[in-house]
Amino acid sequence: MNWMQFKARMKGRLGFFGLVFLYALIVFSCVYSLATAGDLSMGRNPVANFIKTATEFARPSFLDVWLGDPAYKYTSDDGTVLRVEDRQAVEKQWLIQLAFATWTTFKIATLGSLLGAILALPFGVLSAKNIKAPRVVTALSRLVLDTSRSIHTLVFGLVLVGIVGLGPTAGILAIAFHSLGTYGKLFAESIETLDMASIEAVKGVGASPSQTFFWSVWPSVLPQWVSSHLYLWEYNIRDSTILGIIGAGGLGLLISEAVALFQWGRLSSILIVVVLMVTAFDAISRRIRTALL
Amino acid sequence: MSSNIIQIDGLEMVISGRRILKVDSLAVGQGEKVAILGRNGAGKSTLLRCLNGFVKPTAGRIVVNERVVFPLRRERDLRPVRAEVGQVLQGLHLVARLSAMENVLVGGLASMPRLRSWARIFTHEETQRAQAALKAVGMAHLADKRADKLSGGERQKVAIARMLMQQPKLVLADEPTAALDPTAADEVCELLVKASEKATLITVVHNVNLVPLLSHRVIGLKAGEVVLDCASDQLTPAQLNSLYE
Repeated sequence: MNWMQFKARMKGRLGFFGLVFLYALIVFSCVYSLATAGDLSMGRNPVANFIKTATEFARPSFLDVWLGDPAYKYTSDDGTVLRVEDRQAVEKQWLIQLAFATWTTFKIATLGSLLGAILALPFGVLSAKNIKAPRVVTALSRLVLDTSRSIHTLVFGLVLVGIVGLGPTAGILAIAFHSLGTYGKLFAESIETLDMASIEAVKGVGASPSQTFFWSVWPSVLPQWVSSHLYLWEYNIRDSTILGIIGAGGLGLLISEAVALFQWGRLSSILIVVVLMVTAFDAISRRIRTALL
Repeated sequence: MSSNIIQIDGLEMVISGRRILKVDSLAVGQGEKVAILGRNGAGKSTLLRCLNGFVKPTAGRIVVNERVVFPLRRERDLRPVRAEVGQVLQGLHLVARLSAMENVLVGGLASMPRLRSWARIFTHEETQRAQAALKAVGMAHLADKRADKLSGGERQKVAIARMLMQQPKLVLADEPTAALDPTAADEVCELLVKASEKATLITVVHNVNLVPLLSHRVIGLKAGEVVLDCASDQLTPAQLNSLYE
């Protein structure tokens, strides 16, 4: 190995170690700053609190009502029974509410994702390096995508509730505006990793740019786009469950109610529905993705 | 009308200060079968890609089928040239996710109305021509199979069928038998020669045993320059040795 080769190799290694050192420095400053401010505390009684919360979560409301005491007695201070509530009937009504809220959340996620994907398409295409759009256009497209990604769905939701009012429309738009950035980035990356040989194969027969797009680019990127869409749709189902907290409807509304009333059993029921919905969607979308790619 | 389908003058290509190609003058006549030989990095593939405008040289003039390929002001002017130039390259030079049949239909895109081609609507005549092309290369039974699921030899056959569909005047083949076993290589060569019967065929070859099968004329490149230009049957072992040393 001559001096130049040694220098080149060392330069590469030093660069890598430099990056590792920088990362370690960032992590250290985060931990140090939190520790010195006393913000790394676990609270007064973390173990007991954890056990208490876990016990309440372990009794989802629908199970507790059917397996536990079916009646709830409201009594006065002297022990007189004022009213006996049929817990099962109340829970049944709440479960119907839960079903409707789940459907609303699904609708918000589905329409928001679709709208986000449609809006992202031109920005994604224009920001891909190999499309070679004018620099200003590429820079503006990337700016739109970066801005959209950096603003959280919840923040979009808060602003949109003020503009379009309470309800699912604000949720749909919030999901769309935030996922637009991620969709655009994924679309651009799929275009950038296109197999150029297949583009040349079509260009090489004298095809026009539009024909090259429909015969080479489109069939190559479509499966990846569908896959990205399924992934983000699933992500948005999860994301839209919290949108109800700011008034966009759906499961979030029930979550904020349950938290406000300390009904951990009900919160547990809601979370079970969310987990089941996301797991089912993941299983279906994974099959579709496997079939497509 | 000139009898030359390719006319190259003063061609030079320099990348990062390194000269890749320098061809003072080179002409290929209509219907000629030419093999280009040379070591790796001699500029064979670059020369071939200059002919259909996928690589832009630094200086010079290239005329293919009486159309100027370089220098050219607008990229769109290359389209009529490319419509008349078929290419069979090494590796998967097909659209991976399209079927063999669709890849063959790609050969007819330049002559199809755009709107119809976007929607993939083909006339009975176009479909029949594509089927006939696949049949000619013995691939009719795999018409619906996706290109990326085909073997190396099958892919080259589909590329030849696409060329049959295109009916080009000039065929550029860049190591079409690379990574193929000897039997498949012979088969692909025979099909290539048969398919380009009425066209000019220029093939970049590494296996010198295939030269008599593919060409009547041999052009040898060394460090980007033409150092050999003779009839295939006059090629001597000494000339070959000096080309590859």
